[in-house]
Amino acid sequence: MKIVGISACPAGLAHTPMAAKALEKAGREMGLDVKMEQQGSMGQVNAITPAEARAADFVIIASDQKIQGMDRFKGKPVIRVNITTCIKAPQAVLTKCMQAMEGKK
Amino acid sequence: MKKFFKDAVGHVMTGIGYMLPLIVAASLVVAIPKIIALCMGITSLDPYAETEGFTHILYLIEQVGWTGIGLTNTVLAGFIAYSIADKPAIGAGLIGGMVASNTNAGFLGALIAAFAAGYTVKWAKEHIHLPEAMQQIMPLVICPFLATGAVALLMGVILAGPLSFINASLVEWLRQLCTSGTSQLVLALILGAMICSDMGGPINKSAWMAGNVLMTEGIFQPNVFINCAICIPPLAYAIATTIRKKRFSADLYEGGKGCWVMGFIGITEGAIPYTLVKPQVLIPVNMIGGALGAAVTCLLGATAEIPPVGGIYGFISIANGWAYLVGILAGALFIAFVSTWLVNFNVNVEGDSPDISLDDIDIDITIE
Repeated sequence: MKIVGISACPAGLAHTPMAAKALEKAGREMGLDVKMEQQGSMGQVNAITPAEARAADFVIIASDQKIQGMDRFKGKPVIRVNITTCIKAPQAVLTKCMQAMEGKK
Repeated sequence: MKKFFKDAVGHVMTGIGYMLPLIVAASLVVAIPKIIALCMGITSLDPYAETEGFTHILYLIEQVGWTGIGLTNTVLAGFIAYSIADKPAIGAGLIGGMVASNTNAGFLGALIAAFAAGYTVKWAKEHIHLPEAMQQIMPLVICPFLATGAVALLMGVILAGPLSFINASLVEWLRQLCTSGTSQLVLALILGAMICSDMGGPINKSAWMAGNVLMTEGIFQPNVFINCAICIPPLAYAIATTIRKKRFSADLYEGGKGCWVMGFIGITEGAIPYTLVKPQVLIPVNMIGGALGAAVTCLLGATAEIPPVGGIYGFISIANGWAYLVGILAGALFIAFVSTWLVNFNVNVEGDSPDISLDDIDIDITIE
């Protein structure tokens, strides 16, 4: 399973990298390939390339804000999750997203 | 309706995210020449508008800072509109924000203008269908024109009068709050608790935003309480890791060093990893600490004649700066002692918080 995602918060100082790292780490522990782009105060960090976007099974947006470059994910299922939940329970978030994707098939 | 409200909050947060660096930089550019002038024994630079020499240069720099602070509503409205409907909405949002400032419709007017601009473009994109050959003029001409037209009607004609009346009354009421002792204390308690509640989240940002809006109206006092409360949580956990090392896991102990820096420059987010260990206990503790610190600062009589600068070093921009420092220290010590007394931080913070079950997680799937 290949998953890409983007995290973003108003200040872009703490929540953004924390959520991105939590999800990537949870992904490694669960045997999933998770790559998170951070859209914080320093602009885009660890950006998702168009090729990576095409190869992904689905996209996680850990934010309720405006995300830049959403056109990369045209046609992909996009799941929006609260950023704080991603920091508190990243494994549960990934499990829930996987279940939701199974249900869609 | 619930979804609309949730989206709206997201748009406002995006706008604030873009406005944040602007206002931080602009208030520093105002504060630095002011502080240099204060060191020279000059309380206001306004008399130096027409003179020459060093003081005139300070005056010129300060004026540029004020231009930045004056852009608050403009940038906020522009980027809320951008968040709602992308590029075609930015122009109308910027114009709306500027009109709001000029007609004294204030922050409230800027919000209304931004939503009018954004949703007009969104509506136009969905409902106006032009022949293939004319499609290109939609984002460049039709959408921006309709949005700006809507803003002109709403902000320029219909709402200018009522909004400026509401805004003026609101500002006057808050100004009175800031001058009377009891209500100033209530204000300090509320703002302090809000800042330390969700550290960088919507409640914290609302309080912070309120402070900045008032600053553009020339009311500086609330920002003293806000800046004071911002330093408290990270500083508290920095102190806690130092005085009670045994109560912390290796990771959290190491993190304490970063908290000294976060506390010094004023970034509440530094306290998040600690608060997450047991949020149901620590959030109330943090809120009480923040309220306590702001209240102490208020009671000891810290006042602001110039835009207050954030961070611990912000005391230089405040009259009775020691009161500000004592307030920060009081709040931080309270959190440091109470949190380490109630909560053992020497736990493995790896993995998920056990309080969250799969059913609690709200997700929203769409196809892009």
